[in-house]
Amino acid sequence: MTVDVVKRIPLITLVGPPNSGKTTLFNYLSGKNFKTVNYPGSTVEYYTCKMQDKFNIEANLLDSPGIISLNPNSPDEEVTVNSLYNHPEFGIPDLVIVTADASQLSRHLLLTKQLLDSGFNVLLVLTMKDLLEKKGLKVNTDKLSKLLRCDVVIVNGRTGFGIDELVKKIDKNLKNLKPVSKQSPTYKFNDTDKQSLFTLFTEIENLSKAVLEPIEIPDLDKANKEIKILNPVLEEPTMQPDLFTIKLDRILLHRRYGLLFFFLIMTTMFTSIFWLADPFMTMVDDFFSYLAQTSSDLLGNTWYSHLISDGLISGTGSVLVFLPQILILFLILGLLEDTGYLARGAMMIDKPLSKIGLNGKSFVPMLSGFACAIPAMLAARTISNRRERLLTIFIIPLMSCSARLPVYVLLVAFLTPSDKPWLGGILLASIYVFSIISSILVASIINKFSRKLIKADDNSSFILELPAYRIPKLKVVIKNSYINALHYIKRAGPVILVLSLIIWFLTYMPNHSPQIDTTGLNEEQILQLEKSERLATSYAAELGKFIQPVMSPLGMDWRIGVSLIAAFAAREVFVSSLALIFRVTDDENIQSSLLNAMKNATNQSTGEPLFTTATVIGLIVFFIFALQCISTIAVSRKETGGWRIPILQLLIFTSTAYLLTFITVNVLHLIGIS
Amino acid sequence: MKTAAELKHGERARISDINSDNPSYKRLIEIGFTPGQEIELVNSSVFNDPLAFSVRGTLIAIRRNEADCIILS
Repeated sequence: MTVDVVKRIPLITLVGPPNSGKTTLFNYLSGKNFKTVNYPGSTVEYYTCKMQDKFNIEANLLDSPGIISLNPNSPDEEVTVNSLYNHPEFGIPDLVIVTADASQLSRHLLLTKQLLDSGFNVLLVLTMKDLLEKKGLKVNTDKLSKLLRCDVVIVNGRTGFGIDELVKKIDKNLKNLKPVSKQSPTYKFNDTDKQSLFTLFTEIENLSKAVLEPIEIPDLDKANKEIKILNPVLEEPTMQPDLFTIKLDRILLHRRYGLLFFFLIMTTMFTSIFWLADPFMTMVDDFFSYLAQTSSDLLGNTWYSHLISDGLISGTGSVLVFLPQILILFLILGLLEDTGYLARGAMMIDKPLSKIGLNGKSFVPMLSGFACAIPAMLAARTISNRRERLLTIFIIPLMSCSARLPVYVLLVAFLTPSDKPWLGGILLASIYVFSIISSILVASIINKFSRKLIKADDNSSFILELPAYRIPKLKVVIKNSYINALHYIKRAGPVILVLSLIIWFLTYMPNHSPQIDTTGLNEEQILQLEKSERLATSYAAELGKFIQPVMSPLGMDWRIGVSLIAAFAAREVFVSSLALIFRVTDDENIQSSLLNAMKNATNQSTGEPLFTTATVIGLIVFFIFALQCISTIAVSRKETGGWRIPILQLLIFTSTAYLLTFITVNVLHLIGIS
Repeated sequence: MKTAAELKHGERARISDINSDNPSYKRLIEIGFTPGQEIELVNSSVFNDPLAFSVRGTLIAIRRNEADCIILS
């Protein structure tokens, strides 16, 4: 009888300080494309995958958030340290690959030393060789390898230089794995004190002095010149930061104009989303209108024709129209992240943000909240102070996420007179400004009470490396935006489809072929009358009776109420739901026919126009505040470790939304705006 | 006793010690502020806080109160 021995696949964990090229290396080894950004904390969760087949090594790779030492300072760093010593699923890594920036050796070797001291199997990968070469230096890897007693490889994750050697060393390391009797690594950094850290650094400084050598240049003349420049460098291991970065920082971090540039960059970013997306939106729109029209022509006036053209195609199309804007938002955010400017942004607004209980490090999570609240809440893990982190998570749902864009664009289009299209851009921009201002207000109010709401100690801190500026890699950014947009469709698509079907069913049944008096009416009028009769006797109308009392104070009727409720699954469903309820099957394009339907709709309880300037502004206000996203609530629960904060968020934001909508609509009515 | 928070723009000085009163002192050391290192105040934010220092060939932004526990010689 043979016993099946389950062969355990070895685990390789990648660790490294932020900006040391760790994720680039991970992408190279795994063949995957996770985004690398020029801001610490781009990885906040660990990712695992297999090594690429072409390397012929069977091993699991684990990428974890960047750490500068094994003494974690924030939740994202804890993820890494925990995964090293006690990974719930994989156990202790068989090999730890640690990356270090060769031009930052004296800082980045700290982690390597700590890992070696703990007893891990370590393989050191030196990156950014080119930066070091610019300074006329190179690393003697043999010497470093002997001094550290671990393998050292120089790799360029972008060009693939050194990968072959790395793969060989990985293979060698995995084959020479020490027997089980080996002690498991021990964690001994709980009570590192000042003096032991100082000693460790002195050791590292001597080490890096010993392994850094000037590049030998065959040309003697050149060499002589180099030596003149190099000598002081060798005597003094302190190196200068990137000169271009320092010069650019003089402008971008200028004491007077720095903030001006900051606001300029942010405004350009948000306004460009709208004008860049416009031509693409028309394209998507035309495509879906064509599809709806064709299917309705082919299938005639039957219930399944209505289901397909009204329910599925118009419903999905009304949301996908906004895909170009979402894509461009991801693209611009990605470009900005890649330049290295975000860390400067965080530094500049640290002071104002700390006044309202936030941290400069809240800036990047808040900014990503404009794309989607979910990754934004994960990004908040880089904030070390618990209170600041929870408060950041608390206000993230107020950032205008991309799911709200379809709603805003539709409502703004309603408000914009056709002869003044530029007004639309301004209106949208002001919605963003308004949502930012309200999140600041909410944060400061919550901050006042937060000592009761959020218990945590006070150790607020802001220590952030300002990475060297670099030209963003357009190819990578485009690829990532594409992946993000695809995720968006995959996540929102099924929800929109299912809800479109449910709403179609509720508004179409049970009286699907109503009896009406058709004498003296033409075909068009008969169709219209059938539609309104069908809706008035539908299940949705039955349900609507319960919602009506809540909607009446807002000057709206149950049909908007049903759409608002549907929007709790995902905000963009509001648009497809409106499209369905107000039955859009004109031959014009989807958005404008929905607009026409909205302009003609009357409030079923008062008989007055339903969508007026006042109610539409009211709806915008509702969407700015309301927390209508089940996934956000779920992530908020996970990230805050309980139901307390998500429930508070849901209650506070949704009741504020209702109250402010009520006030907006009625004040507008009072001052004569209908 | 002069601290890093008192440096002027472009002024360089050598670190002599790190005051362990501040809760973030360990992180300051780990990121590279150790005795013997030469630092320079390169930039400050619009509100004069945080401050950006050049240390070990890189730029690090820290708050004024954190710079205050970096003791210079």
